[in-house]
Amino acid sequence: MADLVQLVTIGLLAGGIYAAVGVGFSLVWGVLNIVNLAHGALVIVGAYLTWQIFTASGLDPFLTLPIDAVALFAFGYVVQRGVINRIIRAPLLFTFLLTFGLNLIAVNVLLLIFKSDFRSVTTAYSGAGLDLGGIVVPYIRLAALGIALLVAAALALLLNRTRVGLAIQAVGSDRDAAQLVGIDLRHAYAVTYGLGAACAGVAGGLIAMIQAITPTAGEPYTLQAFVVVILGGLGRVSATVVGGLVFGLVEAFAQSIPGSGSVFANAIAFGVMVLVLVTRPQGLLGRLR
Amino acid sequence: MKKHILALLAVAGLVTLACGSGSNQGAQGSTIVLGAPLGLTGSLTKESALTKQGYDLWLDWINKQGGINVNGTKHPVTIKYYDDTSNANQSAVLMQKLITEDKANFLLGPYGSAATATDAAIAEQNQIPMVEANGAAQSIFNQGYKYTFGVLSPANKYLQGVLDMAATLNPKPTKIAMLSADDNFSLEVAQGVNDYATGLGMQVVVYKKYKNGATALTAEVQAAKAVNPDIVLNSGHLAEAIAIHKAAKEQKLNAKIFAYSVGPSTPDFIKSLGKDADYVYDGSQWTPQVKYKSQFYLSVSDYVAAYKAKYPGEGDPDYHVAESTAACLALQRAIEKANSLDAKKVRDALAALDVTTFYGRIKFDSRGINTFKPMVVEQIQGGEHHTVFPSDVADKKPMYPTPSWDQR
Repeated sequence: MADLVQLVTIGLLAGGIYAAVGVGFSLVWGVLNIVNLAHGALVIVGAYLTWQIFTASGLDPFLTLPIDAVALFAFGYVVQRGVINRIIRAPLLFTFLLTFGLNLIAVNVLLLIFKSDFRSVTTAYSGAGLDLGGIVVPYIRLAALGIALLVAAALALLLNRTRVGLAIQAVGSDRDAAQLVGIDLRHAYAVTYGLGAACAGVAGGLIAMIQAITPTAGEPYTLQAFVVVILGGLGRVSATVVGGLVFGLVEAFAQSIPGSGSVFANAIAFGVMVLVLVTRPQGLLGRLR
Repeated sequence: MKKHILALLAVAGLVTLACGSGSNQGAQGSTIVLGAPLGLTGSLTKESALTKQGYDLWLDWINKQGGINVNGTKHPVTIKYYDDTSNANQSAVLMQKLITEDKANFLLGPYGSAATATDAAIAEQNQIPMVEANGAAQSIFNQGYKYTFGVLSPANKYLQGVLDMAATLNPKPTKIAMLSADDNFSLEVAQGVNDYATGLGMQVVVYKKYKNGATALTAEVQAAKAVNPDIVLNSGHLAEAIAIHKAAKEQKLNAKIFAYSVGPSTPDFIKSLGKDADYVYDGSQWTPQVKYKSQFYLSVSDYVAAYKAKYPGEGDPDYHVAESTAACLALQRAIEKANSLDAKKVRDALAALDVTTFYGRIKFDSRGINTFKPMVVEQIQGGEHHTVFPSDVADKKPMYPTPSWDQR
């Protein structure tokens, strides 16, 4: 029983990270209709930013998260405004090509600057945690889950309660109509991508505290974000959070299968995704579009 | 313009110098061409660069001696490199090119088991000896090839040294948790542990395979913790070793020994984990602290000094560098013994070779791999690498048992 509770804890804590990575990806996909293959690279840019600030100044890594968010928002805004907006109405394949190219550029620039060495943010409290009657809850992972939920809540609030958020939603549901009522499309697109990048940056900062990073460590996260969004369903922040937590749980349970179970953890997670697609194409909590 | 003239003068000076030293050595033979494809770009850049350092270190030395002595004639040596972009298939293509177009007399190995396996097939087809230092998977040597020789200890031995050491410790650890990546090399390392442990009165109580490159390994560590092991072993790679060690701390998995096949020997491991890296063991092909009596070439301390002089700022040479140099030494000694540049004769001399160098004993079994050199065990103590086993080459005693996480 204790083992089961511990496993659920591990799954939920890992799921928090997946949710944090997923929300930005989901927003960009839902509103801009772009499957952002550079998302993992943005995550790792955030991770390196946290690592760089932490090593250079000794600032607590959690305090670097707002810096990650602002820096990546600005970066995302410029990239969307200057580059991706040019092909926003082109067929899906072009957006694939472009974001894949952006991913390659970002990864290689990171390789040039930081080389392929492994880096990690190790603080005095790294690895420490609560011990609740044999159930271990590491502080950093717990805080990461909390921050992931906070980011998601803030994003949901922004989308549903503010003028710019409503404009983004309007663009997402019908861009021509949105343009007719006077929404500046290029700006709304850029803000959307910027918000997606900001979420990725925060997720990256959290990841730098949890695992060792290299410039190529972001690629699996693009794939995981994709699965998380499909699992939860497109169009709602809360759906992505649920998708992330479910993905974390499925992965943890798959890894705990005796023998070579963990070799197939990814395959099992993808299997669950296919199952959801077949039985509930809109995702666990998604709205059909 | 002035710069050009200076450069020309410098070149002229070098040429005169080269001719001058050549004529002092008496008869100079034809140049021996060695060939090696390496991953100068791509994912294996770092390890390939270390391999090249090892080759070049020997190249400088042998040419300073005037070359390899064959029948009283000294033959200078060049090494022709190509970039295989860290791709095993490309490596094989370039190996063939080295043989047919560049007329390489002998071959040096690429980096990694995958490329070594494809290159070994080319060496065999062309009947040109290849001496390699960076492919430890036994699958390479189980093909019946006669022209491939590996100076390094095979994969199954990687963690056996750690078990040998563990058997000498008190209280003796017996329960092993083994976490292995699912690639060929790592599985061979894990299999080596499984085969070897029972003979020492130990048992593998949990054996978990995970996907090569995985970084979310908390659930695996939890499975290990459930059986309360004395020894936690990982056969995998640097990223996974770091992930496992972080998860072990988080989950408060307390073992007497943490040993990882690949990772702890690199500076990245200590940099990433800080003080938590202390007490971790790894199996290593070679360390700068070993005390082998060299029959020719440099002593261990001279080797370390030569490396630091040629590559300042890089710290001590790691085992990739040393084994690569050792491959060159094996080839050199075989050419000298064969007293010929004939490929077949040199192959036979390699098969019969038995020599001790700064790197340890080099002798090949019937398959062509060096099963005669022991793996040494390193431990990180106070943020530094120390050799702790076998005791005759060690510079420190193992710090045992590893204290529990809350007592560090």
